[in-house]
Amino acid sequence: MIAAAWWLTSPQTVGTGDLPDHTPDPEAGERFFWAGGCASCHASPVDGKRAKGDDKLLLGGGLELETDYGIFRVPNISPHPDDGIGDWSVVEFVNAMQRGVSPDGRHYYPSFPYTSYARMPVVDVIDLKAFLDTLPPVEGRIAPHDLGLPWSLRRGVGAWKRRYLDTAPLTLPASPTLVDRGRLLVEGAGHCGECHTPRDRFGGLQREHWLAGAPNPEGKGRVPNITPGGKNISQWSAADIAYYLESGFTPEFDTAGGSMVAVQENMAKLSDQDRDAIAAYLKALPARD
Amino acid sequence: MSNLISRSLVATIALVFTSPLFAGDDPVHERHELMEGVGDAAKPIGQILKGERDFDAAVVMTSLRTFDEASAQFGELFPPGSEGGEAAPAIWEDRAGFEEALAAWADAVDAAIAANPQTLEETKPVAGDVFKTCKGCHDNYRIEDE
Repeated sequence: MIAAAWWLTSPQTVGTGDLPDHTPDPEAGERFFWAGGCASCHASPVDGKRAKGDDKLLLGGGLELETDYGIFRVPNISPHPDDGIGDWSVVEFVNAMQRGVSPDGRHYYPSFPYTSYARMPVVDVIDLKAFLDTLPPVEGRIAPHDLGLPWSLRRGVGAWKRRYLDTAPLTLPASPTLVDRGRLLVEGAGHCGECHTPRDRFGGLQREHWLAGAPNPEGKGRVPNITPGGKNISQWSAADIAYYLESGFTPEFDTAGGSMVAVQENMAKLSDQDRDAIAAYLKALPARD
Repeated sequence: MSNLISRSLVATIALVFTSPLFAGDDPVHERHELMEGVGDAAKPIGQILKGERDFDAAVVMTSLRTFDEASAQFGELFPPGSEGGEAAPAIWEDRAGFEEALAAWADAVDAAIAANPQTLEETKPVAGDVFKTCKGCHDNYRIEDE
């Protein structure tokens, strides 16, 4: 029984031999830095406020996420060799991003959205690391999370992962189209579903309600339904969605609000083609109320 | 007894004069309506910038004039005690910052009107500067209304 539980919760990792032969490209990696929203959590707050401009490239961590499970403290992922992740190997980075396992073999909590990053092509993750390596090292280690029982028992995350972590496409089949480019960004790096999809009582995403809107994890209200169903953006054209991601303006010329302000600023750094791809994917989704 | 009456009369008058109602019938409603009008005026400019509507200098100028009038009145619609709606508490906690953000909007609108854009290419930069100030103020001083 204990052996079974130990096996069930054991960290699953990839080895160096599993990695594709790929020359890291930091310029390509910058695309995933913005699509992935790394800075929105890992950029050190400035005077207690969200970092802006070039301060978004200083990934010293320190933001505190107050949740029902306790306080998650966002770690330093700058390339500092001691305080950040500067001495990580490529395979260690891939295991963190796509298997939720640290270099010392412990589970990360899914507040770090590796369940989405697991859907990125591995070569994109390798390029992302190459980009992160070009950023300034930041000193300072962040204190550990402060969680209540049973959540503080980190090993339990292993069982959770068996149910909620996989790498297969979520909705539409893989295909060489603009929609598929969008699928990779939305289901993978962009981790849109982490907020726009409701969760079950174990905190896993309810895939049958993929992107159909969810309670706001940070307070009152709801995160909008971004499928072609519902009342939030069903009337928006693909061009409207792409323009919103670029400019922050809705078709009614209202501006983005709440957490979406930071997300939109990240999406504004992508190419027109990427924003068009995201819009095409969202329009291709099955409509859900 | 008469002392009590006169005291409550003074208190009532003081209340009337300091209450948000004195600044208008309902500032939460008024500022909402004014901002709806601003949104309606922004839409045609936005559609022109997005290429969904043919450029028309008169349409652009009409919208800019709507912004101009609204920006002159908007700051007065947040008297003390009128918290609520989509107004963030930061408006009252950081009045100077809010006034500065409003002034940035008014300045960008003034500059756009002065530029009197006659082509799409002339409109893009000045309208872009105006739209940036919308976002700049909303990011800090507006909250999501539910």
